Amino acid sequence: MDKKTVTTISYLSRLKIDDEKEEKIINDLGNIIEFVDQLNDVDTSEIAPLANPLEKTAKTRKDIVTAKNLKKELLDVAPSANEDYFLVPRVVE
Amino acid sequence: MSWETVIGLEIHVQLSTKSKLFSGGSTEFGAESNTHVDLIDMGLPGVLPVANKEAFYKAIRFGLATGANINQTSSFDRKNYFYPDLPKGYQITQMAQPIVEKGSIKIAVDDYEKEINITRAHLEEDAGKSIHDMFEGETGVDLNRAGTPLLEIVSEPEISSAKEAVAYFKAIRQLVTFLDICDGNMAQGSMRCDVNVSIKKSGDKELGTRAELKNINSFKFIEKAINFEIDRQIKLIENGESIVQETRLYDSEKNETRSMRSKEEANDYRYFPCPDLLPVIISDKELKEIKENLPELPEEKEIRYINEIGLDESEAKIISSSKTMANMFEEASSKTDDAKLIAKWLVGDISALLNKDNIDIDESNLSAENFGKLIERISDGTISGKIAKSVLEEVWETASDVDEIIQSKGLVQIQDESILEDIAKKVIESNPDQVSAYKAGKDKLFGFFVGQIMKETQGKANPKAVNEILKDLLK
Repeated sequence: MDKKTVTTISYLSRLKIDDEKEEKIINDLGNIIEFVDQLNDVDTSEIAPLANPLEKTAKTRKDIVTAKNLKKELLDVAPSANEDYFLVPRVVE
Repeated sequence: MSWETVIGLEIHVQLSTKSKLFSGGSTEFGAESNTHVDLIDMGLPGVLPVANKEAFYKAIRFGLATGANINQTSSFDRKNYFYPDLPKGYQITQMAQPIVEKGSIKIAVDDYEKEINITRAHLEEDAGKSIHDMFEGETGVDLNRAGTPLLEIVSEPEISSAKEAVAYFKAIRQLVTFLDICDGNMAQGSMRCDVNVSIKKSGDKELGTRAELKNINSFKFIEKAINFEIDRQIKLIENGESIVQETRLYDSEKNETRSMRSKEEANDYRYFPCPDLLPVIISDKELKEIKENLPELPEEKEIRYINEIGLDESEAKIISSSKTMANMFEEASSKTDDAKLIAKWLVGDISALLNKDNIDIDESNLSAENFGKLIERISDGTISGKIAKSVLEEVWETASDVDEIIQSKGLVQIQDESILEDIAKKVIESNPDQVSAYKAGKDKLFGFFVGQIMKETQGKANPKAVNEILKDLLK
């Protein structure tokens, strides 16, 4: 774990890391990775990847529309909205 | 230096389910903004997505029709990125265990055919829609589309030209509409495609660096965007520069592609299994049922039209090429036994009108039902072929009902022989010169008399009856 990796990860996850905490976070993350890396000692070449630790399969839905029109309620609780849309700071492509 | 082009397509097909992939929100197009948004589509805390089985069934139909492997156990992963129209901050998709793998589809380009392999087809949810140009300094977000099921169909990089890419896209569109898993409506965004383009020296084994062209939604633009991109890459390399692996946006107004993402936003989606969703299992029984109920595909239709109905190869090919055309043929076939007559109209007058307007049959005003009526009225003798042409033209313009046009314009064919005989006698009396010339051996004048009777009846006389009556009277 180095400074560059932490900078990239924090950018990708939109988390701001304070300068004075950076050193500690790099250290902590390094320790976590090292701990989890122990898993690499186990030979898994004969084991199929597990998609979910619950060894069950999904219940599914029938193709039926059940949702109500919640437009007003949803826009009301949004940090910023007008009568039709959620509003966010301008993103330009 | 000669260059080879290597193209791979990722086509997003919107599956025609009623509800979304993980919620009971409606997928209806064109609804008022933010009215089809469920709590799950919003990604609110504490909600749990539940997969829509119908989306799986539709994906499986595609897999079976392309001879692919169906993974009876498939699972979902999260693809993480931030964008305002993606409420959860991740898209649920199938990375590790897609529902469909390793299929293929045949394409036809000018004078050759080619098989394109399909790497995989997986289910994923669509994002919402960002509206950039309506509000000062702000972007509006409509989440109606968020969570709509998509089937992403990924081809192998085996496509070698812009033309082949268009043919491949068309083949996929034809297939998904015949399978009834997507409406194929490009204008409404039901099919969108990303194109990966790279070039390499002829004969080189290794692929060049590719550029990804995003979100192209018309046949015309696929071809233009690819051709622009090929030229751009060749120029760069011949000038000693190198290609950057990046996402580029095609600008149809300027006919150019331009870089879309900055370097720091390098694609790093940090996929991982979605802990909210368990693997979905498709039973043998379900798979068997889907297989048995697979609709008839274009190639099968073509063969049946030739062998069982007796159409020409060329007729059968045109009619089976689009679902709408095939529907028209079958609708009309239920009204009359004269399949050749139906084929003649579809391949003749209707194809000519389509070419003239440069549109697809499903963009025209002609419905299968109305076409069936038109054919029925011709074959039961209500109108003549010639009148039918003018009725068709009117339907083409106004989409009015065939029977209403016939009634309101008084176009019903005159079959009554006594009426026709009276008119024929009048025509003969008022053209004595032509009568004697005809009797003296000028056979061609027969057409003149037919024409005069048609003129008198505004084209409504039954031509067969007119011929017989005239032959009789001019003996």
